[in-house]
Amino acid sequence: MMKILVADDSRVMRQIVIRTLRQAGYAGHDIVEAENGKEALEKVHSEAPDLVLSDWNMPEMNGIDLLAAVRSAGSSVPFGFVTSEGSADMRARASAGGALFLIAKPFTPEAFDEVLAPVLKG
Amino acid sequence: MSLFLEPSLLDVQMVLEEVWTSFLGVEEPLLPRTPGDITVGWSAAVTVSGEWHGMVSVELPTHVAEDVTRRMLGLVDGLDVAADEDVADAVGELVNMIGGNVKSLMPGPSVLSLPVVAAGRVARPSDVVEVCRLDASWAGSPLVVSVHVQAKAA
Repeated sequence: MMKILVADDSRVMRQIVIRTLRQAGYAGHDIVEAENGKEALEKVHSEAPDLVLSDWNMPEMNGIDLLAAVRSAGSSVPFGFVTSEGSADMRARASAGGALFLIAKPFTPEAFDEVLAPVLKG
Repeated sequence: MSLFLEPSLLDVQMVLEEVWTSFLGVEEPLLPRTPGDITVGWSAAVTVSGEWHGMVSVELPTHVAEDVTRRMLGLVDGLDVAADEDVADAVGELVNMIGGNVKSLMPGPSVLSLPVVAAGRVARPSDVVEVCRLDASWAGSPLVVSVHVQAKAA
């Protein structure tokens, strides 16, 4: 069993992400939730997740700043964005920051499986 | 220099349908509706600032907002009551997805704001004009998605 940190300021979206993980065949993993980037950063340290799925646009600390802070702290935890903004510019910034993938909202269980299989089944 | 373009009605329709079918199911499709006033129970808006400036908003009657919330949370119709806090969250996330996808269709780079949600109609700045309005019907009830830009840009 792996531990997945889901960071999104929307409780509704966190529920959808968790449900989609289940639908994509990733039921049974330990899920930890965070409401913003600052809380997520704390939980990267305290919970030591195996994967971070983060929204981009969040109060307190946004997703790209979270990623930078995680990497600055020396963590190489696999990190992916789940965000409503899937432009080429955002994808390039995510990749340059060290993210493995960017899933654009709205998404399907298939989209989750495509990017998560190498991380969680690999 | 900022660009004063606007998304096409077809673009907005495609974005809305993708969001709707992904998170709200396909049993009740979105249908086109003759434009008209609706009794707004909940609304939400996001703004895009940068190479393109605009405001994307969604307006829903109360029962539609509550149905959307129940479906997004996976609650049981007619059994679970959607709390106001959850309705505000769901309507905000709805406009966040629609606005984020509209932003992706427009020239960048730009920044998407966090959603502003209101019980009733979100107040718009006085210097904006509507450049795109999509009236839709879901399970017989109306909803509206609109895009506004600054008046000098229209």
